[in-house]
Amino acid sequence: MEVADKKYTFNWDNKIPTGPVEKKWSTHKNNIKLVNPSNKRKYNIIVVGTGLAGASAAASLGELGYNVKAFCIQDSARRAHSIAAQGGINAAKNYQNDGDSIWRLFYDTVKGGDYRSREANVYRLAEVSNSIIDQCVAQGVPFAREYGGTLTNRSFGGAQLSRTFYARGQTGQQLLLGAYSALMKSMKSGKVAVHTREEMLELVTVDGEAKGIISRNLVTGKINRHAADAVLLCTGGYGNVFYLSTNAKNSNVTAAWRCHRKGALFANPSFTQIHPTCIPVSGEYQSKLTLMSESLRNDGRVWVPKKVNDKRHPNEIPEDERDYYLERIYPSFGNLVPRDVASRNAKIVCDEGRGVGETGLAVYLDFRDAIKRDGEDAIRDRYGNLFDMYHKITDDNPYKLPMRIYPAVHYTMGGLWVDYNLMTTVPGLFALGEANFSDHGANRLGASALMQGLADGYFVIPYTIGNYLAETKPGQITTDHAAFDQVEKEITEEISKLLSIKGSKTILDFHRQLGKIMWDKVGMSRDEDGLKQAIAEIQALRKEFWTDVFVPGKAATYNKYLEYALRVADFLELGELMARDALERKESCGGHFRLESQTPEGEAKRDDENYSHVSAWEFKGKDAEPVEHREPLEFENVKLTQRSYK
Amino acid sequence: MSTIANALQSQVGRKILTGLTGIFLTLFLVAHLSGNLSLFIPDGGESFNLYADFLHSLGPLLWIAEIILVILFLTHAYLGVSIYLKKKRARPENYKYYKSQGGPSKQNFASTSMLISGSIILLFVVLHVMHFKYHLFSPETYMVEGTEMVDLARHVSEAFQNPWIVAAYTFVMVLIGVHLKHGVWSAFISLGAKNPKLTPVLYTVGGIVALLLSLGFLAIPLYIFINGGL
Amino acid sequence: MSSTDLIKVHLKVWRQDGPQAKGFFEDYTLDEVNTHMSFLEMLDVLNERLMKDKKEPIEFDHDCREGICGSCNLVINGVPHGPEMLTAACQLHMRHFKDGETITIEPWRATAFPIIKDLVVDRNAFDRIMSAGGYISVSTGNAPDANAIPISKPDSDSAMDYAVCIGCGACVAACPNSSASLFTGAKVSQLSRLPQGAPERKKRVIAMVDQMEKEGFGDCSNFAECEAVCPVGISITAIANMRTEYVKAVLG
Ligand SMILES: Cc1cc2nc3c(=O)[nH]c(=O)nc-3n(C[C@H](O)[C@H](O)[C@H](O)COP(=O)(O)OP(=O)(O)OC[C@H]3O[C@@H](n4cnc5c(N)ncnc54)[C@H](O)[C@@H]3O)c2cc1C
Ligand code: HEM
Ligand code: FES
Repeated sequence: MEVADKKYTFNWDNKIPTGPVEKKWSTHKNNIKLVNPSNKRKYNIIVVGTGLAGASAAASLGELGYNVKAFCIQDSARRAHSIAAQGGINAAKNYQNDGDSIWRLFYDTVKGGDYRSREANVYRLAEVSNSIIDQCVAQGVPFAREYGGTLTNRSFGGAQLSRTFYARGQTGQQLLLGAYSALMKSMKSGKVAVHTREEMLELVTVDGEAKGIISRNLVTGKINRHAADAVLLCTGGYGNVFYLSTNAKNSNVTAAWRCHRKGALFANPSFTQIHPTCIPVSGEYQSKLTLMSESLRNDGRVWVPKKVNDKRHPNEIPEDERDYYLERIYPSFGNLVPRDVASRNAKIVCDEGRGVGETGLAVYLDFRDAIKRDGEDAIRDRYGNLFDMYHKITDDNPYKLPMRIYPAVHYTMGGLWVDYNLMTTVPGLFALGEANFSDHGANRLGASALMQGLADGYFVIPYTIGNYLAETKPGQITTDHAAFDQVEKEITEEISKLLSIKGSKTILDFHRQLGKIMWDKVGMSRDEDGLKQAIAEIQALRKEFWTDVFVPGKAATYNKYLEYALRVADFLELGELMARDALERKESCGGHFRLESQTPEGEAKRDDENYSHVSAWEFKGKDAEPVEHREPLEFENVKLTQRSYK
Repeated sequence: MSTIANALQSQVGRKILTGLTGIFLTLFLVAHLSGNLSLFIPDGGESFNLYADFLHSLGPLLWIAEIILVILFLTHAYLGVSIYLKKKRARPENYKYYKSQGGPSKQNFASTSMLISGSIILLFVVLHVMHFKYHLFSPETYMVEGTEMVDLARHVSEAFQNPWIVAAYTFVMVLIGVHLKHGVWSAFISLGAKNPKLTPVLYTVGGIVALLLSLGFLAIPLYIFINGGL
Repeated sequence: MSSTDLIKVHLKVWRQDGPQAKGFFEDYTLDEVNTHMSFLEMLDVLNERLMKDKKEPIEFDHDCREGICGSCNLVINGVPHGPEMLTAACQLHMRHFKDGETITIEPWRATAFPIIKDLVVDRNAFDRIMSAGGYISVSTGNAPDANAIPISKPDSDSAMDYAVCIGCGACVAACPNSSASLFTGAKVSQLSRLPQGAPERKKRVIAMVDQMEKEGFGDCSNFAECEAVCPVGISITAIANMRTEYVKAVLG
């Protein structure tokens, strides 16, 4: 391969402690510099985002005595996107006595990530997972329980153990409300000020260090300055670059992207998770996609007609004319193959013209046999609420008709590059939760994002931030510093520019168009030609955006579409970087599938020799090519193997 | 004590007081009705008069009971009015289109007219007391063992042969039923009925209590009117 | 899915430029609304049309569009979240409307929820009620093992029944008195069901009820309209619970 012709340098210290993986975190904690309790109150910390990562971090730092300002886009901290997570949260409690351990959770997560994550980070995640459950229960999170009064678990994809804690189908909601309640408590004590409907638009750096942010009050449109000694980005993932995704409508990349432009490296931007079981698109007007829990694949059988373009009613297609393709191709895992494999195969059969439904972009998930076997009541018991939700959206009755499902963008493993302390390459700027790249490699296992967000916020950052703050004199920069003037001027001009274009296309037109490019060419399968086209098309689209977009209203009022325009503008830059990253990674791994790199049977083929690294991109200017750096990944504890589910 | 005073002024305290006073008033109605039903004992009103005399013979005890009753009425009415005024402040600009969702909602003619039904009841109570207690409208007396006494039974019997009075009573007794259709259920919830599965049952129970009380009170004037006297 | 059905709808939408501005209804007609659209998607389509005509779009709150974040808040045909029970506005689909129907859309109305613009209101009062006591004071790292306190399944299930509140404020919007009792009662009920909540049980209910009053919400008259419009079906018994908790706190 032609990897060797380029020199990929990496000058950043990832701060991973030496020693055996089991000891790294405790050694590190012992060596972290401490901030004197009476000095803590002199430090101002900005936490952007109040999802699981942000709310838990803000509350915990407030408890420690720091002055915290938390920001979110929604009208309440409780509405962050984390609220929508359904399935559950992993922890290595081994309450089921099925032999679970920190080691196994660590191992499964590294393997599930297709060996593209850091061992040390993942081990720490597994290590603190148990404290998360303790903390949440103490806050009053009503996890599901056994009759004996102890906590119960369910199993999730990619693991052979029952280690997932859940609260009905609303685990994310309950965890977030727990963290939110801690935040509300800190708000009462005065240690945390929560600024709702206040969006960070820029990072302010002084001598290369993060010293504050510029935000926009979304109610009045006023541009505000906030100075701080450290800034924590907990702003979630950027799946909405695809326009249609399971992410909430407000999820965006702006904060992370602006920090990237101010010097923070962006790691593995192309690593996207596409979830196989979502309700398919029903028309042009579609605004977002709804996830159906992957637990459905325990009882549902996935199929499409054998014939191309078979328009018959599903119940009229006889058994021998159905292709249960997952069971056929993967006899041992069948319908339970991992997310990336299931998604890719759905795309393949639809591309062959065998997709179902009006758009031909769906496959059946059929419960007929399960209902015959266990009875309708048993199925209702297991999946009743999901069936109801499906019925509400599609008006179809899944007890009588197979569900139609299709893959959808769900999660982004990529994010700002952070070291072991969760600090980005901009000193004083940290990234937590889905906004960083740290723990999931090329594919995230189910129920691990909630775990990571809370691990970062409750149990990592409260320690690791000390290392930076102990060396920083508090309160040196105030909002009258020239750096604030400069950045505020830039952002004000950008807003005026957007409002003044008054072009002929709506913001949504551009977002949809970008989404289509991303989905077709930077989506479930990628190849060199497509990626190159994508880069060119996105560049052209971006140019058009800045000359022909229509942004309504004024700057100094509530103006949702202005917010939206600013976010789409950043997506238009991010999309290109994702395509570049995908282009540079000429292997297939996890959610990243390069058509050029597959086994003879059409499965993903990793290239550990050349691509066992984190790609970390450096911004070089709006119209300049970004530069890729590569942090090598070393595996001392886990043996690298090719995944097989046959 | 001051915490209790504060508590009584809180939203919850006020509501519990409304419920308590409402329930005691309802219990009073039950007692009142049981006494009144003695009119139906076919002895020319003697039992009824005896019952009335018995009450009078309680002397100071009766006063205390009456004072308590007045306090109950006034507190209940005060709370009802204050809840209503607060509601106006809590939504100064009303919906242009507003509809009840139905289902478990208890929003209906009864619940939305509590203040009106209550106020009419209050007005009625004043008139009713003036009428039958102080005999302001028909002060006919007769002599028993040297003292001037009222034949309450006859008084009632005569009053309820007047169609206007019967019509007014019918109206108000129906209103009491309407007030209690929501009132009894509401008091249950105000006083902490906590089982989600029981709430529909409570509503039905409340309705039945309301209906029985209303019918019970109606029976007397209607019987007398139709029968042409006791 | 059946074949695409198109209906025509007339909309009367509340427009209000700002908190102090005078609001009014503006009429719109959409000729071809796909019945498989969600209600919010129908508004998206209308907004696209307005912007193509260089007009100001209608502002409304939304985020998850899955009925869980509690952002969406439209009073549709006089009912918060519209005609379908147990359904947030974002999960309501156009198939529930008739061809040619006139649909009115208004914002939540309550003193405690001032209007920001058009259909968007400020619900920070809810945060302040939570901040008054809707939590268990346990600092990070202070927790015992999760299985150290067993909690019976019925208690835990009942706590969950109240914990599912999405904080949308439909209860307030629907209540003829604009009372926040269901919202507050749900949190009080959840935490009073759990042993972890016991130490602050008394303080919590008093503080939260006081805050509710300060925010200008009305009293509860047990209309149960809140339960009827609650997209997650929280029972009015939450309010009954809150009251008994309150009495115990004051007397005990
Ligand atoms: C439908 C669905 C189901 C899921 N189910 C599961 C599951 O079962 N288990 C699991 O482990 N994971 C699940 N996930 C993934 C998981 O929910 C997310 O990865 C995780 O919640 C992200 O949390 P976060 O705190 O990083 O960010 P978020 O929760 O996305 O929070 C982002 C916050 O940042 C704020 N913000 C963003 N930009 C700005 C800005 N510029 N200025 C100010 N504030 C800003 C937002 O307002 C918000 O408060 C699911 C995801 C989806 C979409
Ligand atoms: C025979 C007399 C009365 C009886 C038996 C009675 C009974 C009740 C009961 C049981 C309730 C329910 C309490 C609760 O919601 O917890 C109630 C509510 C109410 N009553 Fe009465 N009541 C009587 C007289 C009055 C009077 C004189 C008024 C005068 C204004 C009145 C006004 C109200 C109002 C406004 C409510 C509703 C309170 C609310 O909205 O929460 N009632 N009544
Ligand atoms: S938009 Fe989240 S609940 Fe409706």
